Amino acid sequence: MGTSLGERMFYAVNYALLGIIGLICIVPLFHIVALSLSGPDAIATGRVSFWPVEPTLLAYKHMIDGTDILNAFKNSVIITAAGTAMNLVFTILAAYPLAKKHFYFRRFFTLAIVFTMLFKAGMIPDYLLVKSLGLVNTYWSLWLMGLISVYNLLILRSFFAGMPEELEDAARIDGSGEWRLLGQIILPLSLPVIATVTLFYAVGHWNAFFNVMIYIHDAEKYNLSVLVQNMIRSSSILAEMSNLNPEDYVQLTPEAVKSASVVVMTVPMLLVYPFLQKYFVKGALIGAVKG
Amino acid sequence: MNRLYDQNERPKASSRASPVLGGRGIAALRRSRTWNLNKPLLLMFAPVVLFFLLFRYVPMLGIVIAFKEYNFGDGIWGSPWVGLDNYRYLFGNPQMIGIIRNTFMLSALNVFVGFPFPIVLALLLNEVRRLWFKKWVQTLVYLPYFLNWVIVGGLVVMVFAQETGFVNYILKLLTGKPYPFLYEKHSWLTIFVGTTIWKGAGWTAIIYLAALTTIDPHLYEASAIDGAGKGRQIWHITLPGIRSTIALMFILNIGHVMDVGFDQVYTLQNSMVSDISEVISTWNYKYGLGTGEFSYGTALGLLESLVGLILVLTANAAAKKFDQGLW
Repeated sequence: MGTSLGERMFYAVNYALLGIIGLICIVPLFHIVALSLSGPDAIATGRVSFWPVEPTLLAYKHMIDGTDILNAFKNSVIITAAGTAMNLVFTILAAYPLAKKHFYFRRFFTLAIVFTMLFKAGMIPDYLLVKSLGLVNTYWSLWLMGLISVYNLLILRSFFAGMPEELEDAARIDGSGEWRLLGQIILPLSLPVIATVTLFYAVGHWNAFFNVMIYIHDAEKYNLSVLVQNMIRSSSILAEMSNLNPEDYVQLTPEAVKSASVVVMTVPMLLVYPFLQKYFVKGALIGAVKG
Repeated sequence: MNRLYDQNERPKASSRASPVLGGRGIAALRRSRTWNLNKPLLLMFAPVVLFFLLFRYVPMLGIVIAFKEYNFGDGIWGSPWVGLDNYRYLFGNPQMIGIIRNTFMLSALNVFVGFPFPIVLALLLNEVRRLWFKKWVQTLVYLPYFLNWVIVGGLVVMVFAQETGFVNYILKLLTGKPYPFLYEKHSWLTIFVGTTIWKGAGWTAIIYLAALTTIDPHLYEASAIDGAGKGRQIWHITLPGIRSTIALMFILNIGHVMDVGFDQVYTLQNSMVSDISEVISTWNYKYGLGTGEFSYGTALGLLESLVGLILVLTANAAAKKFDQGLW
């Protein structure tokens, strides 16, 4: 394998570039973790880069004692868990019939559903509906308004449609009804794609921001996104913390608390992401082919 | 079990005129079999229909208030019609024109400036021979896609802050003076597009990487024998190999030249740059919902949705020329 000098140069530059690009993706996260763990003097002079300077856990301690962040974390977990479960049930119920060639009005239903992805009523008509149903300030507004994502529905439908029909015929000869066929044969064979769809839904709920801003006005019901956004935007975050006396302010900078709040929101994602990456990538590819 | 009359086994002509049962009989049996197959499916699908009707189509009826003067007392149906007055007001108001222009400008910046980055990234990744290195870089560049805009906004504020931000710390060491990155129009726009690329380029590269795997490796071997270097190979084999994917992605992106997301703008904007950063969705949130300008807000939203719909349909029609339409 005689590699020329030019080729070796090419590879060296390529590896270096990709190394830098990879670092750019992760380094801001290191920075914010470092800020959240650094002492007030280091932060005030801007000396903190990618590792903690004068390390301290005070920002986390005060944030947990003095803000609603644990409650918001709990809310995010509730929104995500219940929401994802409902998403799955109804997306399967939608995708399975639409994948059948003999399903009545299959084309009409598909078009009517895809149309809702292309044309949306908009923020205010949506809000008026949610309000008239009495769902404002309840998580049902989030769960119901986002019950079925057309994108995920199409992913699932194209997977179901690709299953061999012999499977279905065999089950019918055994006398299985449609529900048993779905529950005992189709779903167990679809676990990888269901995992993918589950993850897309779960990430969507965990990251939910816009809908929570619109439909949830009760501060006790905020999820992490909205609480953290309010903390980042606050110009008097230390004064808003219930457990701090003015003499405590010297121990703490607003930046450290804000960074700590961002870290709390990011860490769960970082923990699960490396293990689930392959499912996400699979979803991106199915989604790219169809929709 | 009506398997006897399954489509595969039944001769086509017999559905019209069977000597035994007569045309009617077969057709009726087939209908009843299809009906039996459909019964459980329709039962499953009923809640789905209900969902789309109630939560997607019913709000579309509410769009009528774009042509009314909405007031809380009379509600959607009782409020008086005003025809196109809301639009006359919106288009006659320089502030509103600015908001519509910003919506268009920010999405166009995202779509067009951001476009080449995933391609370049995929090309670079495609040339990596060490698998572990490729895996690591892929893991890192896909990650930002899963962080929401609140996190990205928080990172930006921390990294670019004037007094305590790290970028300005370096800048002060070099030039002695900090720069208000978040408060100057051009630097804000650069950061805005930069976050789009940071968050999305890796994820979009997945599609190009998949396209790259379809290129025949023999082409590279043959060109290597002919003495082509890396640069020539990329230019003459790799890029032409994914040309149709690039064209398709470009066309589909044009379909999005009106939908800059609320989250991105809202988490990045600040009052110093509101001239260029207020868009339809953020205005709708703050004033449409916030101060009860329901009719103007709905009118703006309808404008945004309609332009978006036209763009997507046009883009899809164009994509069909490449045999790759979405439906």
